[in-house]
Amino acid sequence: MLELKHDLRLATTRDEQARMNFVSGLRSYVLNDMASGMRAAYDKDVEPAFRRDKRRAPKDGPEVHKAIRSNEYFKFYSSLRVTAQDMVWQSVFPPLERQRGDLKQRAQKLAGSRKLGSLKLDPSLPVPRSVSALDVHLMPGNYDGEYESGDLAAGALYDNGLAVFSFGLMGQNLDDIGQSISRFIKARYPKFKPARILDLGCTIGHNTGSWKDTYPDAQVIGIDVAAPCLRYAHARAQAQSRAVDFEQMNATELRYPDASFDVVFSSMFLHEVPRKDISRVIAEAHRVLKPGGLMLHMELPPNAQLSPYDAFYLDWDSSYNNEPYYKPFRDLVPQLVCKEAGFKSANYVQFVVPSIAWFGEQAVAEAVARQGQVDSDKTGRLADGLQWYCFGAWR
Amino acid sequence: MRAGLAGALRNQTRGNMASERQPMRRSVRGGRPYFFADPATDKVLNMVVTLASEVWALRERVMAMEAIGTTRGTFKSGEVDAYEFPAALEQRLAGERQEFIANLFRILGEQAAEPSKPAAKRKSAGRTKTSAKKKKG
Repeated sequence: MLELKHDLRLATTRDEQARMNFVSGLRSYVLNDMASGMRAAYDKDVEPAFRRDKRRAPKDGPEVHKAIRSNEYFKFYSSLRVTAQDMVWQSVFPPLERQRGDLKQRAQKLAGSRKLGSLKLDPSLPVPRSVSALDVHLMPGNYDGEYESGDLAAGALYDNGLAVFSFGLMGQNLDDIGQSISRFIKARYPKFKPARILDLGCTIGHNTGSWKDTYPDAQVIGIDVAAPCLRYAHARAQAQSRAVDFEQMNATELRYPDASFDVVFSSMFLHEVPRKDISRVIAEAHRVLKPGGLMLHMELPPNAQLSPYDAFYLDWDSSYNNEPYYKPFRDLVPQLVCKEAGFKSANYVQFVVPSIAWFGEQAVAEAVARQGQVDSDKTGRLADGLQWYCFGAWR
Repeated sequence: MRAGLAGALRNQTRGNMASERQPMRRSVRGGRPYFFADPATDKVLNMVVTLASEVWALRERVMAMEAIGTTRGTFKSGEVDAYEFPAALEQRLAGERQEFIANLFRILGEQAAEPSKPAAKRKSAGRTKTSAKKKKG
């Protein structure tokens, strides 16, 4: 299993570590081996039965979902995935609960000694219902759950849980998305020198810091609505000696002047935002970007760019992992959303960036020369050989 | 009496501190989805996997004890809990863990590899075979 290296990592007993190892291994088995098994069951039984009945192949993800729901292998795959998801968080609670007081002290100590970056919280900011009313990813308490004053436990739960969840596929510092994409942008646009970079819905800032690594002279700011995650993000950035500023703010109502950023970025964020708010987020990005600035969202690939089976496969999370906005997002056409917000169609960009953690630095350099083509069964999937999809537009 | 009061005050302070730090909620709002016709099947599967996780934790613990025991022969208090596997052993364990998990779900793989037959026919064939075995037994 992946072990976090920073000063806020939780100490675990031998047995706690072993349970985490088991859950990581279980997730790897379900998302690699069983994902292949389910595809085989689909090809062997589900699709032929559908064809016999309808005299055609399923036309989209929902049709595949409806057809496969009664299949026994689907039931085992799904039940085991939910069980593994539950076990991810449950494996973190015992060491986290034991070390909560100590964790808070460590964060305070870092704030006193490192003096890097800043943290601005806004207790008057309303937390939107898309965050306050459900537990995304079946994570008890969600991003914003607070259990004491100045709490940062939800951030620790997310960080340590993500380490178990990702079984190494999100990089050793859980920042593979930020590292791969920021370096890809730098290599692809060598003359582009952003001075101010904004990361929307940054949670614990794990992908925010990568922009600081790639563009050390830039001011990098991460915003989120959840205070416990931001407190943790600030401490985590300090633990890793990164000067990043964090502010509690809603991406639908940015408190920044027009034309004040060179990059507006987000990762795995839009699919957790209700449909009507997605348009507001993109419009706000358009407003705060300087002319010549870049908006870029790392996301799951749109359904229209995937085969019906792969669309169903990714939409599984929307139905069963407490991600109600995930499928509506993936049903959108990104080009149109950008256009509606005021971006010119000619300025639209879309990239498929290989994971540095999986393929290495050289693969990113090679990808720079290629056009972004979505590889239907690899892009956006947390499994071996993963690639990150992103879209956006130049202002 | 004063000591008693001091004790009471101390307890009160402790009580306040405890109430200030609430335990984290460990259940998911809205519950979890179920997939089998009877949700009890999902629950039993969850129990089996949790048990397997405990078996694995024991396996790692035994490995740690073996590793410490074979190098030094004795254990100090807390030593097993603090033990970190050397890289080579960690790698071996990672391989064994994936074999353990694959073996746990072996029956699903066998089923997926079966040659394709119409669903109804396969089901009835399965039942006949099972009942025939039972009769023999």
